[in-house]
Amino acid sequence: MDILFSSLAAGILFGMALSLVALGLTIIFGVMDIINFAHGEFLMIGMYTGLLTAKAAGIDPLLTLPVAAAVGFLLGIACYLGFIKFLLRGPMIAQLLGTFGLMLFLRNLALLIFGPNDRAVHQGLLVGKSFDIGLGIIIPATKLAAAGLALAAFAAVWLLMNRTRTGKALTATALNPQGARYMGIPTERMNALAWGIGCASVTVAGALIVNFWSVNPYIGLLFTMLAFAIVALGGFGSVPGAFFAGIVVGLITELPGFWDFMTYTFEFDWMLDVPMISFKYMWVYVAYFVIMVVRPRGLFGWKH
Amino acid sequence: MKRIARFTSLCVALFVVAALLLPSGARAEKEIKIGVLYPLTGGAAAAGRELRTGAELAAEIANTAMADINMTMSKNAGIQSMGGAKITLIFKDHEGNPTLGADLAKKLILDDKVDGLLGCYHSSVTKTVSAVAEQYGVPMINGSSTSPTLTERGLKWFWRTTPHDTWFTKDLFEFLKGLTEGQAKGVKAVSKKDIAKLASACEKTEWGSFVSSLIEQFSKEYGFDLKKSLLYAKEAPDLSSEVRSLKASRADALLFASYTSDAILMIKTLKAQKIQPKIIWGQDAGFETPEFQQTLGEDIVGIMTRTVFLPQVVKVKPLAGQVNKLYKAKTGNDLSGASARSFTGLQTWVYILEKAGSTKPADFQAAANAIEIPGDQLVVPWVGIKFSTSGKEIGQNVLGSGLIGQYQKGSDGKVGLEIVYPFDVATTDVIYPFPKW
Repeated sequence: MDILFSSLAAGILFGMALSLVALGLTIIFGVMDIINFAHGEFLMIGMYTGLLTAKAAGIDPLLTLPVAAAVGFLLGIACYLGFIKFLLRGPMIAQLLGTFGLMLFLRNLALLIFGPNDRAVHQGLLVGKSFDIGLGIIIPATKLAAAGLALAAFAAVWLLMNRTRTGKALTATALNPQGARYMGIPTERMNALAWGIGCASVTVAGALIVNFWSVNPYIGLLFTMLAFAIVALGGFGSVPGAFFAGIVVGLITELPGFWDFMTYTFEFDWMLDVPMISFKYMWVYVAYFVIMVVRPRGLFGWKH
Repeated sequence: MKRIARFTSLCVALFVVAALLLPSGARAEKEIKIGVLYPLTGGAAAAGRELRTGAELAAEIANTAMADINMTMSKNAGIQSMGGAKITLIFKDHEGNPTLGADLAKKLILDDKVDGLLGCYHSSVTKTVSAVAEQYGVPMINGSSTSPTLTERGLKWFWRTTPHDTWFTKDLFEFLKGLTEGQAKGVKAVSKKDIAKLASACEKTEWGSFVSSLIEQFSKEYGFDLKKSLLYAKEAPDLSSEVRSLKASRADALLFASYTSDAILMIKTLKAQKIQPKIIWGQDAGFETPEFQQTLGEDIVGIMTRTVFLPQVVKVKPLAGQVNKLYKAKTGNDLSGASARSFTGLQTWVYILEKAGSTKPADFQAAANAIEIPGDQLVVPWVGIKFSTSGKEIGQNVLGSGLIGQYQKGSDGKVGLEIVYPFDVATTDVIYPFPKW
């Protein structure tokens, strides 16, 4: 039983961090219909920001979140005003290739600055500590903190989108940019704001994740792929969708744990020989595929 | 303006032509160029730096006369039989990537015109690079890749000095067997039931996946119950589901084949998940890098790793002490299995060149197949170096052997490796079972 519970707990905690990764992608898509391939690279930048700020200032990596948020916000706005704004005038394919180019640029820039070696947080308030909460569930403190803070960040974004005038303006821009412009909403500024919020949420996610994952310049792609799967699952543009789909995807990555549970509970010898661990991300894309075929707008999709 | 430009370009062209026409052998002292491929960046960069320094030190000793080292290659400057020719090393970084390794090997052979190759650490890279060497008929010596299949391909231009994983994995099972028979120093005979359940996690390239299958094979042979054997990607930034799977197996002994960053991550995750096996054993590589020790500190006390060299060897081998002193002056670290073996790899190059008396591949090949370097010339505790020339394995050193070390806290409070196997050379009592985190 402990295998089952600890896999469940791990899946949910990791899923919460993942949903914060996907949140930025879904906001940007929701507001301006642009698919950002460089999303994972922003996460990578967030990871480096957290790691290096903590090292330089000698503080715990968890305390670097505001720095990561600020870096992400400014970077997002800069990307929009300096690059994406011009892409939006072109056809769809230009936007795809443009953000793809941005991805390659950021990755190689990171390679140039930080070098290709893996780096990880080895010291910190919570690093290496864990709680035994009974039933055989052992929760690493860093993951719990990451999940909690991800939840808080999510709540903040949800409140911003649903309870403020700015949020309303963002939603209006998302639904009908032309109509919004007629109503006096500065859509250009809203777009920039969407990029700012989207990028800030993903760099915060990066600064959280770096507490338990090592970082190198190539890490972005894995998360871009996961974020795409989450956003597709939850519905493009949906904030609650990203949250629930994130948890679902987190649980899917724990399938090997559930497999182990079945194996040892029912003592099926043939199950032992299946290398589930090696395919742990495959099931995420299988789910992605199924959703795309069965329900293309996702579980919570509202646009189109 | 145009004239000046034309004149300059003419000068440059003449200069290039002159440089190309001058025969390279015209220099007074011949230079022997050896291309060395190591992972200088990426996940195994820490090991790569050690490998590099080990090879550089061997070249330095070969190129200069050093009276205080008892080796024939330190007695004179350069290769005696070739008029004091000096060794030049050209380093390339393969990043642990087999395709890149093969490309770099081609560049070394075609552009740098090297006389031979040394490398490559990762067995997967050694595999592709040795294929390139074979294609061009350029000799290659491998000092530190341990996948058994490398010398089972019948290559004519490939020699390996290190013993390989079949021997090392057998050593582990001999150790486990010895533990149940009460042969381990300071530990009463352990009931076989207590350590019968094993689980392994190996990285999934050439080296790790082969170790995984060896563990499977030997656990059957020695009557152990392998509950779980999983493969993971060495670049994986997170190993928590792998570790939970190991935990689920409730194994008594956890066996690993990991490179540097994944070994560190694995141990950190084991600790975070509070997994309490009785034995943790690593198949060398990541488990004995200085980075592994520095990052994890006292958490590694009790962890075992197979190796071919430990600082403790210095106690029984004065030559190792002399070389270790030079190495420590350069790096601040003791020689390790990685650096001692890259040192030995390049040393073998030097001895074969000395015997061959030329860099002609055919002469080198004949000398390599005939050479016998006695153990007293080596820093590693082997009987010597002699390559097999017939049978299933071609080009494998048949006189090597392995050790199992265990991290223990010394009287000075520092954590270091002590020899626990072979039992007759054990330097200290074995810590069993693995202490609580």
